[in-house]
Amino acid sequence: MGEKGRGWNLGLAGLLTPVTIWLGLFFLIPLLLILAYSFGTSGVYGGITLGFNPGNYLKVFDPLYLQIIGRTFFIAALTTLLCLALGYPLAYFIVFKGYRRRNLLILLVMVPFWTSLLIRAYSWVVILSGNGIANKFLQFIGVTDEPLTLIFTPEAVLMGMVYSYLPFMILPLYASLEKFDTRLKEAAKDLGASRWQTFWRVTFPLSMPGVIAGSILVFIPSAGEFVIPQLLGGSRTVMTGTLIQTQFGAARDWAFGSALSVMLAVLLLAAILFYVRRVGTDKLEGM
Amino acid sequence: MKERPTAQKPREGDQDSRREVAVALTGITKRFGEFAVVDDLNLEIWEGEFFSLLGPSGCGKTTTLRMIAGFENPTEGVISVAGEPVRGVPPYRRPVNTVFQSYAIFPHLNVFDNVAFGLRRARVPKDEIQRRVVEACEMVQLTGFEKRRSAQLSGGQQQRVALARALINRPKVLLLDEPLGALDLKLRKELQLELRNLQHEVGITFVYVTHDQEEALTMSDRIAVMNEGKVQQIADPSTLYELPKNHFVANFIGQINLFSGELESVDGGRVTLRSGEGIKIEALVRNGDTPEIGEQVQAAVRPEKIRFGETGENVCSVGVRQIVYLGVSTQYITEFADGTRLVLYQQNAHDSVGPEVGEQVNVSWDANHCLILGG
Repeated sequence: MGEKGRGWNLGLAGLLTPVTIWLGLFFLIPLLLILAYSFGTSGVYGGITLGFNPGNYLKVFDPLYLQIIGRTFFIAALTTLLCLALGYPLAYFIVFKGYRRRNLLILLVMVPFWTSLLIRAYSWVVILSGNGIANKFLQFIGVTDEPLTLIFTPEAVLMGMVYSYLPFMILPLYASLEKFDTRLKEAAKDLGASRWQTFWRVTFPLSMPGVIAGSILVFIPSAGEFVIPQLLGGSRTVMTGTLIQTQFGAARDWAFGSALSVMLAVLLLAAILFYVRRVGTDKLEGM
Repeated sequence: MKERPTAQKPREGDQDSRREVAVALTGITKRFGEFAVVDDLNLEIWEGEFFSLLGPSGCGKTTTLRMIAGFENPTEGVISVAGEPVRGVPPYRRPVNTVFQSYAIFPHLNVFDNVAFGLRRARVPKDEIQRRVVEACEMVQLTGFEKRRSAQLSGGQQQRVALARALINRPKVLLLDEPLGALDLKLRKELQLELRNLQHEVGITFVYVTHDQEEALTMSDRIAVMNEGKVQQIADPSTLYELPKNHFVANFIGQINLFSGELESVDGGRVTLRSGEGIKIEALVRNGDTPEIGEQVQAAVRPEKIRFGETGENVCSVGVRQIVYLGVSTQYITEFADGTRLVLYQQNAHDSVGPEVGEQVNVSWDANHCLILGG
């Protein structure tokens, strides 16, 4: 960092005021409310009595719920890995082989955002259901005689999640690779590195800021996702997000729902800190 | 025939046969689309020499270097390194290393790992890597900087890392693409001499690309002057300066005064021409050139070969238009009666008083210093 950016002035303080008020009102206060609720007691017909009741947190440690949390983290981690494995080659291709069509190609990556996630998730229901398009096609080409169970499986959830969150991986990877100085690749080759070695010794390490940013951007919303597990996972693949939504909805147990939310947030924070520690914080700062 | 300037004695001729060829380019043409960036290039670079490719930007010198390195493939022709044709051989299998214009230091690695990069790819044992990296850092005066990242190094230090990183692999040929271009003048001058000494020390063939004629003259054993994809002349620095082959070389290397005119007499290596300025000029002809009487030619004379007075074979009268004091010397811009310019330099060695602006003076130069240029 250079010298710039040090010191405050009135103009900057003035510009920061609106965002401080906004985040305070709509982020910090709700968060504190959730924290307060998580120690409250839910009434039989809904409603909540504030107090100090650690019982909501003890309930989280019920094996049934622990299993759901474990599954959530497993699916979120797998989603992140798959997004990285699928997204990296695409980002690489767009940056180094896209030439003048780079901007168009990266725009196409964002096209899915133009439709609501709910509608896209429903379209997967149509594709994967018992007499949906996927099954009809598999029967037509003779892979199977009778419909396969495609929907309401962990695989279906994973597929939907990877589909939804892939752009969140590709965009930071693209941004990171775009800054890459291709002369470094030439330098590596000049010094005796094959294409494979050049990638693993130079290109990939230098794209780590993008890998880390992409992983965090995919992992966090995946772990909190509730629409996709509900529509594609059904009652057999419940994830934490779905569970929380049920507590605030049908079950009317706001206190337990709040405790689950706080637990999820704490676990996510711990997971990300661990990840960044492992990969190295200096890489987050870019080059 | 009169005595010739020493530079005119061809000194490459006898060496040609006994020196090994490090890089040979035969009939190299490189086209991007329809445009030939390099056009039928023929070059032999000898082992252990400091060879420069000199020319203005866009003359094809960098493309030539990149073809030797393997980053570009020639459209036509054959490149051989150490006697082996290298067509289709990828850069990482060629016995050459490059010092890039922008250095291209790996930003995620420290100095040690940057310098060790090539040896690690070659699977050199760990203790040998350790020893050679320390040696290489010592050679380029970077001892103590091993743990630094490129962002913590100055331009000159980065340049040294790039040099150490390439030389540590003991390449047959080291390619340098304007390695001093980004540095300030004083550092450049220092590093020019350092590079030259280093090259003598390691004895590796250097191929050096530059657009700076002074740099090329200072450092090189031989220089190939390029323009528009073609080699104009290959020679040692003094031959290039004293006996430029054509107008382009004469003008690109140093300053030159040109006279156009018709040949009046030819006597072996000596000719006389009647120039448009209405004066008779005696001049030399390059070895091998055979101009004929009546031919339209150009005679060239360097500004520092002209002096005030009437002591040379060629004497004429000019008006002084401008005087520029340059420290070591003074530049006089003068004009003939018809407005044609003549520039001359006088050393500021003595207290002698030169002419003033507006004065009409006689200037003269020797026929030995006046050369008929080829086409």
